[in-house]
Amino acid sequence: MMSMKCQNLDFSRLGPDFAAFGFSYNASFDRYMIGKRCNGVPRAVQNGYGAQRLFCFRQDIGATEASIEGVAPIPAPLEEVKTGSRSPISLVNLFELVADDLIILNNNLQSIVGADNPVLMSAAEQIFSAGGKRMRPALVFLVSRATAEFVGLKDLTKEHRRLGEIIEMIHTASLIHDDVLDESDMRRGKETVHQLYGTRAAVLAGDFMFAQSSWYLANLENLEVIKLISQVIKDFASGEIKQASSLFNCDVGLDEYLTKSYYKTASLIAASTKGASIFSGVNSDTSEHMYQYGKNLGLSFQVVDDILDFTQSTEQLGKPAGSDLAKGNLTAPVIFALDKEPKLRNIIDSEFCESGSLDEAIELVKRCGGIEKAQALAKEKADLAIQSLQCLPSSSFRLALEEMVQYNLERIE
Amino acid sequence: MLSMTSHNLEFGRSGLDFVACGCSSNASYLVRNSSKGVLRRVKYEFGARKWLCFRRDFGSCRVVSTKTPEAFVNENPVLMSAAEQIFSAGGKRMRPALVFLVSRATAEFVGLKELTKEHRRLAEIIEMIHTASLIHDDVLDESDMRRGQETVHQLYGTRVAVLAGDFMFAQSSWYLANLENLEVIKLISQVIKDFASGEIKQASSLFDCDVELDEYLIKSYYKTASLIAASTKGAAIFSGVDSDVCEHMYQYGKNLGLSFQVVDDILDFTQSAEQLGKPAGSDLSKGNLTAPVIFALEKVPRLRDIIESEFCETGSLDEAIELVKSCGGIERAQNLAKEKADLAIKSLQCLPQSAFRLALEGMVKYNLERID
Repeated sequence: MMSMKCQNLDFSRLGPDFAAFGFSYNASFDRYMIGKRCNGVPRAVQNGYGAQRLFCFRQDIGATEASIEGVAPIPAPLEEVKTGSRSPISLVNLFELVADDLIILNNNLQSIVGADNPVLMSAAEQIFSAGGKRMRPALVFLVSRATAEFVGLKDLTKEHRRLGEIIEMIHTASLIHDDVLDESDMRRGKETVHQLYGTRAAVLAGDFMFAQSSWYLANLENLEVIKLISQVIKDFASGEIKQASSLFNCDVGLDEYLTKSYYKTASLIAASTKGASIFSGVNSDTSEHMYQYGKNLGLSFQVVDDILDFTQSTEQLGKPAGSDLAKGNLTAPVIFALDKEPKLRNIIDSEFCESGSLDEAIELVKRCGGIEKAQALAKEKADLAIQSLQCLPSSSFRLALEEMVQYNLERIE
Repeated sequence: MLSMTSHNLEFGRSGLDFVACGCSSNASYLVRNSSKGVLRRVKYEFGARKWLCFRRDFGSCRVVSTKTPEAFVNENPVLMSAAEQIFSAGGKRMRPALVFLVSRATAEFVGLKELTKEHRRLAEIIEMIHTASLIHDDVLDESDMRRGQETVHQLYGTRVAVLAGDFMFAQSSWYLANLENLEVIKLISQVIKDFASGEIKQASSLFDCDVELDEYLIKSYYKTASLIAASTKGAAIFSGVDSDVCEHMYQYGKNLGLSFQVVDDILDFTQSAEQLGKPAGSDLSKGNLTAPVIFALEKVPRLRDIIESEFCETGSLDEAIELVKSCGGIERAQNLAKEKADLAIKSLQCLPQSAFRLALEGMVKYNLERID
């Protein structure tokens, strides 16, 4: 199910070219497309994040043909990545280094989840095909490859791959339950699982995925990783509770917000990156740096998400805008704004009982610099993340990891 | 929160006494202090079944409470209330009791004098998993009552129930991981996977009259026996006994669990709502076809029609229940329960004679007595 919009064909012939895997938000699950190589014609693909262009280069290594079914040859690490004129970073660009790893992952996920039951299968389809970026597994694969270089590992191990699957299952399960807990109807522009199939199916689908991921985790037989990931699952639950307990609570401070963001978002990402490095067999300092990278990237990511909830439209978000605030979930922009604007507190305390008060609150947040301060916070965490990558040797993978951080920040430029 | 109903204090001084992790149905986790020379009998909710509790004769030993509620204390008042609701609603604590009994029975084997902290933690984990599954089960079944009290989701809403269940699963996974025993981690992770598979299996075959006994037994294994088998095997693993004995403990737990589930399914037909603590015949009314029904379906074609109608006509549920009773479905299910019980007893043969082994046999018999 391909849908590519081609614009601005660019010719380029730089060293090893590679076919990029792009996806558009409106495609379904099989959307990791492989641009078929046609001699000399690269394609640009427009993806959902507002007209960012992906430059696709074609592979110039023997008679290689990328096909959707087959597994494309893993591109050799690039000596340098030249993208010609600097365009905004796109995820696709970043992921192309690990694109076939992601394809394998997608196939495995579908078969793991869908095997038992048609309703589960549909529920899985619903959530798996609803435009997930696969950022977490991509991080696992990028860190795996970046650290593998370090120790001379030539290819990903099956533990690396399984870790990617586990992480994505846990993430997806948490989304399904989150939507039940938040009573959300829409996610990524589509109806949520529980909206479509009912609460029972959503609870069951989430439980099933958590259970599957626990089982696969146990069978990785690595105690350190088992403990790492179990901590994450515990953190998820704690994060939900923390959030549920402090709705509409204007006394929530920045630290508490960061703790909650750690529990809900950064913990999993940190465990992904650390876990990947553990399976590469690097020393514990490096693993710790990978943890810090993941953690700060995760925090930065969450802050950006929270900003976008104010600055993007419903259409762009795939769900109602301002929904965090509407539900009483006070995030970075609001917390900063509350410092400046006492009126905001009153409105929030009223829990938006008056019509128009939510819009007024959003305006206040925007007007008094809440967004800007949150942006600064996101940048601060991003810088910490970049710093943690210093321990890795330069490579296209490390570059991609840095660009992940940049990509995230660009979402709010 | 101790509340024990003590009856018939008896004095006993057998060699190895132990304090059983028994609890009365109106208390939350109990800590029992041993007092020399006092044998207590505690009355249980299930119609005057008596637990024989022996006291420990090795210094100041004490069966510690499973501390699970503390895990909730600092988190959130609503969660705390939800936890209270389910923990205080009369659970028998059968699974932790089994862990402790098997622990002690196998410990003897290898000369272990005291339960390890892994044994105790295992019991806590097992009970947390069990409780979490009950909370989610009630959401999935849309049940309003359990053990004579309102279910968590009835009282606090679906959201709290989902969250409380998730939290408990998460806590138990974390404690499990920190036991640092790969064999037990894999064992219990399999159980959690089996729970989910069992729910799916059940949900997929509601009102399906072609469900066979084998499928029913698999589903019962997933939903009930798997956890019990993992409890008993896990306890044996932490005692350090050899793998044959572990395997026997697994079989004991599995067959006890199956027997237990069959008995539960019989009681759903034979007990009143009051005795059950929830509406009678609720399995059947939800389309969950259990042993008595499966046997009855072989004899009475009419039953199939009624079930397939999904009881749309008033009185049809009662008629179905009558049919099941009148054509011997209950009796055949009783035989099945007994068959599994016998297998369970057999698996205990590998253990040396002791009060603990006796108590494990007693567990099997206690279960069968529920349907005498």
